[in-house]
Amino acid sequence: MTTDLNQFPELDKTKFEQRGIQLEIGVPVTCAVSIGNNIAAGFGDGTVRIFSSGEKHKTLKAHKGVILCMSKDGDSILTGGDDGYFLKISLNGEINEITNFGSRWVDHVAAYNGKLVCSSGKVVYYWDKNKKEPKSLNHDSTIGGLAFDAKGRRLAVSRYGGVTIWKKDYSNKWKSTKLDWKGSHNKVSFSPDGKYLVTSMQENVLRCWRLKDKLDFAMSGYGSKVKSFAFISDTSYLATSGAIDAICWPFDGEGPMGRKPICLPYIGNKQVTFIEPFPDEKAIFAGLSDGSVFLSQIENENNTIIIRSFTGSEVSAIAMTHDKSSIFIGDMNGNILWTSIWDK
Amino acid sequence: MEETDRQVPVTVLTGFLGAGKTTLLNRILTEQHGKKYAVIVNEFGEQGIDNDLVVDADEEVFEMNNGCICCTVRGDLIRILSGLMKRADKLDAIIVETTGLADPAPVAQTFFVDQDVANKTKLDAIVTVADAVHLSSQIEDHHEAEEQIAFGDVILLNKIDLVKDENIEVVTKRIRKINPFAKIIKTTKCGAPLKEILNLDAFSLKRILEVEPDFLESDHDHEHDDDVTSLSFVSNTPLDMEKFQNWFGKLLQTKGQDIMRTKGILDFKDENDRYVFQGVHMLMDASPMGKWPENKERSSRLVFIGRNLDTMNLKEGFEACKSE
Repeated sequence: MTTDLNQFPELDKTKFEQRGIQLEIGVPVTCAVSIGNNIAAGFGDGTVRIFSSGEKHKTLKAHKGVILCMSKDGDSILTGGDDGYFLKISLNGEINEITNFGSRWVDHVAAYNGKLVCSSGKVVYYWDKNKKEPKSLNHDSTIGGLAFDAKGRRLAVSRYGGVTIWKKDYSNKWKSTKLDWKGSHNKVSFSPDGKYLVTSMQENVLRCWRLKDKLDFAMSGYGSKVKSFAFISDTSYLATSGAIDAICWPFDGEGPMGRKPICLPYIGNKQVTFIEPFPDEKAIFAGLSDGSVFLSQIENENNTIIIRSFTGSEVSAIAMTHDKSSIFIGDMNGNILWTSIWDK
Repeated sequence: MEETDRQVPVTVLTGFLGAGKTTLLNRILTEQHGKKYAVIVNEFGEQGIDNDLVVDADEEVFEMNNGCICCTVRGDLIRILSGLMKRADKLDAIIVETTGLADPAPVAQTFFVDQDVANKTKLDAIVTVADAVHLSSQIEDHHEAEEQIAFGDVILLNKIDLVKDENIEVVTKRIRKINPFAKIIKTTKCGAPLKEILNLDAFSLKRILEVEPDFLESDHDHEHDDDVTSLSFVSNTPLDMEKFQNWFGKLLQTKGQDIMRTKGILDFKDENDRYVFQGVHMLMDASPMGKWPENKERSSRLVFIGRNLDTMNLKEGFEACKSE
């Protein structure tokens, strides 16, 4: 007896796919952030789509080209594009131009409590709260990433040859400290407790500095470039992409030096390309190069569930709503899953 | 769909200042109607470029920390190419125009080193525009001019209307001595057929089998020590694979800075397949490419382009790899 699988089209769908909304936009999803219980996602055609539970998503034509970067700023998002525009977009669809750089791309954006930052080429532009004119912070090479610390006092700027940390002194003057390590540094992040700074490099390696004494060390062994990483549950772990497992380095106690990471395996031997923390839990969403997405508990590798099955395209964005009820997943072919996490 | 089907071809346009790069670029953009190109330029403002999608870049060359001193890449290209791959509209090709004083090696090496770049784009060819009037003196005075000739897959010998025939002959010979496998096209105002410039797939191993370089023994007279030259070797005796790998690996490791490009087709003892490789400095791409054609005699051919080649005992090294 043979079974016609086409009679059961739902068979290989996860319960989240059956329950949620699946879209095929056909344009790469480049970024996504949560604003309250909504998700804003940026696309390769310059559109921003806003997903809210219970309503049809809104589509905004924001940029003329690729949306390269996005950051949350209160109830709004900041976006930078290859059209040179740096925009502020509110949830109700109001778009405000902060500035534009013509044919120069806006590569990175960041925000903290009304302070707005973007980078274009070798220059970081910093707008203090409610200021019209930005302060330019110059660097010798193109900027690979931007990040505020948890209190918004320090701004880390990664670049070729290391990281520059900017902060204002008591007389309101900008001061910079340099952390040097040869090579090209991309994404940068402070640990939530402010004790560490981590960058991912052009080589398949992460560089970490312990800020109190500038002790630096590498986290290596990756099969490909580490494009995505995130600190989990305050500073318990640093979960990273770049291998066929999600690699989670312990950052509690004395930090990761001399300790082994926890490796969370997934079926199919595909590279992990995107990591998103499950807020306040020692758990992560891991997106893979074939489009599949898993939720796993770091300290219990047997507790892994599949959220989305494969689509054939690299996962490029995952975001969870603030109330932890819904999740957004997007990939490089524009396949989207927007679903509630919990059984009703 | 195969990964290779989606790879966008990237043509690198290089050439010394004033040779005619922008003229060629504008020809490509205006003659190829209905094609979607992205153009990455470094000397903007010099002359207008007529295209929707022009990206300004700073040529940022940096060293990779992979234990290979000559492995430099273009950081700006990695960033821009990965950005372009996120576009909604699919590009037919990407053209990178380098500055007149650029060494093409970091551009080529970027495609070997960065996995994302290699997955989504492919280096199609390096096209060098050379000024027939000034090339000889430029080669004497600027090592960059020499490197651009050394790396070219296609060399447009431009402005030939301004040069006497016998001088064209001299310049052509000079180019040949540096680079025996480039295709030389003589032009005025870069007027070469675009099909000889675009979609050449010059960096694919398959292509190496199709293009027969001039396997002529180079002469060694009247050269400065740091001149770029080429040497080629042919053997009808099959090679010993282990000996060859040891010799060649060590050679690239120790002399890779001076060896700019290598290409070869190899006949190994007890192997049915042809082995084909090509390299830029220390980086190599190699693979068996199917059986030898039945009507063709098996032989190994190897070409080097670089500096100080005569100090590397290449002939002795190659001879020692023979299996008998």
